[in-house]
Amino acid sequence: MMSAFLLVKIGWRNLWRNPGGTLLTALALGLGLTFVLISLGLLDGSHEQMVRNRVRYGTGHVVIQAQGYQATGSPDLLLPIQVVSATEAYLRTEAMKQTPRGVSPRLLASGLLTSAANADGVRIMGVIPKAERAVSLIPERMIEGAYLADGQESGVVIGAVLARKLAVKVGAKVVLAIQAVKPPAKDASDPDKGEMQNALLRVSGIFRTGVQAIDAHVIQVPLSEAQSLLGVPDRITQIAILLEGEGDSLTVAQRLRGQLKDVPVEILPWRESMPALAQLFSLEEAFNYVMNGVVLMMVGLVILNTILMRVLQRRYEFGLCQALGLRPVQLAGMIFGESLALTAISLALGLALGLGAQQFLATHGLDLRWFSQRNLPADLVFDPIIYSRLSPTRIASSVGIVFLTAIVISFYPALKAARTKLPDALKVF
Amino acid sequence: MSDDKSAEWAVELKGVTKTYRKGPIEVPALRRVSLRVAPGEFLAIAGSSGSGKTTLLNIIGGLERADAGDVFVDGKNLQLLSSGDLARLRLQRLGFIFQAYNLLPVLTALENAEFILLLQGVSAKQRKERVRKLFAEIGLVSLENRRPAELSGGQQQRVAVVRAMVTEPALILADEPTANLDSVTAGALLDVMGQLNRAHGTTFVYATHDPQVMERARRLIRLHDGQIMSDEARASTAP
Repeated sequence: MMSAFLLVKIGWRNLWRNPGGTLLTALALGLGLTFVLISLGLLDGSHEQMVRNRVRYGTGHVVIQAQGYQATGSPDLLLPIQVVSATEAYLRTEAMKQTPRGVSPRLLASGLLTSAANADGVRIMGVIPKAERAVSLIPERMIEGAYLADGQESGVVIGAVLARKLAVKVGAKVVLAIQAVKPPAKDASDPDKGEMQNALLRVSGIFRTGVQAIDAHVIQVPLSEAQSLLGVPDRITQIAILLEGEGDSLTVAQRLRGQLKDVPVEILPWRESMPALAQLFSLEEAFNYVMNGVVLMMVGLVILNTILMRVLQRRYEFGLCQALGLRPVQLAGMIFGESLALTAISLALGLALGLGAQQFLATHGLDLRWFSQRNLPADLVFDPIIYSRLSPTRIASSVGIVFLTAIVISFYPALKAARTKLPDALKVF
Repeated sequence: MSDDKSAEWAVELKGVTKTYRKGPIEVPALRRVSLRVAPGEFLAIAGSSGSGKTTLLNIIGGLERADAGDVFVDGKNLQLLSSGDLARLRLQRLGFIFQAYNLLPVLTALENAEFILLLQGVSAKQRKERVRKLFAEIGLVSLENRRPAELSGGQQQRVAVVRAMVTEPALILADEPTANLDSVTAGALLDVMGQLNRAHGTTFVYATHDPQVMERARRLIRLHDGQIMSDEARASTAP
């Protein structure tokens, strides 16, 4: 039985017959892995950033709202504010092992905002400023004035597009018209319930998120102001929860469902509360998998081409080995060993380059503004600087997939070598 | 076809025929060749290019099969052996020396010479001992760590001879072993082959078209158009 060590030795030495060529080939294969790692790192990083940004403009990673609100959006479906403290308390228990980055109760409604110059329909968010700052990105996107202050009882922040349409600036007065929530039967005697309510508000600040739908239609007012206008003290529409990472969304939602099973609420991870966004991300992920598949295929073809060329050039040598008594399976093993050695060098090179690039991009990011002639604003919904993120699992699976691809592809040249025909292979002249 | 028989002859061919087909054209390479080679012979097969020398050696060495006839080597009928059995026979009982490019370029002279022993599973210690003994016999000791590219053509062929000899095969087949060597180096190589033949009793069958090389054989078979034209015992001029 031939020593496996000899197979490896011959394979290894064959690689260094032409060191320049081998290094160039290894570099080409390694760059394939490097490209896969960079691509996956930027994909995961941008995905994480996009999810973080979009959920912070929307419902957070997990949202708790009254049963049926997701389907109907009815302003009458409200939760008692006590659910907030119960949720916060539960999230901080040892059982959850989950410290949320923020929990923000919100009261949502539609209304009409009027200035001296114009009027427009708006989506009203009644918020607790301190809590909202921990969850939403809107407080960080103020371009004029300031966000609602803690304890502020009146005032409004509006989007830049809406401000332009209404021709208002910070300090301007606007009138918010809103229909109070329809009274339950027992409160039917209250004449204000279900009627139109008006409030004179002063613009505290103007924000720009880069999302047209938010900048043109969303306004935020203090929760107490919104509750008062809608006539629903101690009621909210939803609780938006921001977690450390989106990966925990489903688990947290499921655990909260178990905990609040006796309360008529629906608890949704962001993929369910913002299905259009989730679909967009799924499509993006699928596209990136296809792109990475193409890269892997190219890497595979380089391996195939390289090894096959080496095999075809050494037909005489294989013939000689067979004439001396080397069996086809041993010959195949020799070529396979050579492919493995080449792959190992390539992976080491690719890993070193890929992890170096990943480290750089994780620290400094990839500034997309370099590639645009337009001066992109820093407050885009998608950050113009993408920071690479690669988990050890991603790295291991990428290396594993490239390695497996190389192994599978190496079979053909090995088979080709094993099929060397005697005595034809020994003809040199 | 006959079954295996005792190894009374190192090689026995009975009515061996081989024809190559290139499309509709048939090229007869061997026509009903019969031949017996006794153990320990030092035999040359001579003939012009296309006479069938290489085909005859390939068939004796199990590198290709005859279309008809029986081929016995070391008592085994090669026509009845599978490809795997032929590979095993080549590994265990035969040695080969080709015209050129005999050595694996990535292995040293010593590693090339011990290559077949490695395939046979011989221990490292025994391999080194056996190779170095033969290297010493033919003056290759100082070259054992050189790669083929660092050896002259004659030195490479001598390493190939050691590789063929080191397993103590029943038969060594050499196809134009001196074709790429100058006359002095060719003479030295044949001296080595003759010396090993006498010292170890190994059967050598080699093909050549060089009259000087034919002179070294103790038996000379002349082939022409795939047929044996003459078979003569000679007094070798080997030292």
